[in-house]
Amino acid sequence: MSQTAIADQIESHIGHLIEDWTTAVREDPRIQSDENLTKPELIDHVPAILEEICELIRKREIPGVRNSLEARANVYVRFHQGYTGRDLVRELSLLRITLLDYLMDLSLGGTIGLSFEERHEAGKIINLYLDEEMRYAISVFCNPPTLVQAEQ
Amino acid sequence: MISQVDFDKFVKDYNDDYLLLLKRASIRHYDCLISAFMVLKDLYKVIQVMFDTGHYTYKVLPYPFSFRADEVLLGQLGFDQQEIQSIFGFLDHVKTTQGMEFEACLEAGTVAMCARVR
Repeated sequence: MSQTAIADQIESHIGHLIEDWTTAVREDPRIQSDENLTKPELIDHVPAILEEICELIRKREIPGVRNSLEARANVYVRFHQGYTGRDLVRELSLLRITLLDYLMDLSLGGTIGLSFEERHEAGKIINLYLDEEMRYAISVFCNPPTLVQAEQ
Repeated sequence: MISQVDFDKFVKDYNDDYLLLLKRASIRHYDCLISAFMVLKDLYKVIQVMFDTGHYTYKVLPYPFSFRADEVLLGQLGFDQQEIQSIFGFLDHVKTTQGMEFEACLEAGTVAMCARVR
């Protein structure tokens, strides 16, 4: 199975993965920042994040400052939604678990012939991408900028 | 190395320009908007790379470059429903005129400069 096939599998299951992740976030008593958010507000940038991760897996590209635009957008939105940094980190941790569990399911299913090396490479990109977002989030939340509303 | 004051100015310039481009999209003024976003994306990346060095802090967060399918973000930026639909309409416009998604267009670089009548 190629990295493209792994990315295609994840992309075709984005709806289910988001559903699993949403449930995990809502049920986690340690996350409180989500309480006042509607479901669309909670989901917000996560589908775009998954699509960007899939694109990186497809291109076998290492996530970094220049190719994680959606991760940075998510930090921006969460910061303005009044999230705490620790809740965002926990939320991203749950997203990581959701994705790595799915990767394991793909591997255990056996029908798509995912090798250990291929799973490891895709897992590495997932981890590095989410670490990149956490790195950015920590930088922002530790020195919080001024909250500004755009003027129309 | 540039000063924190200069860095703040970069961020302010980026934010002003970003909002201006979105405002243009929100009134369906799509002409040459792709090339404008292309230039702005480079500035956004420079800001992010500089911030990542740890030498600078944000007085104000730069607006995220990505706005695809993000009503929450566009709402936060002060756009109403009709304007948001016009902004999303720009993404459709890019696909129709350039034959590729907006993001792919930005990656393609100068090939996609300014829509041509075909």
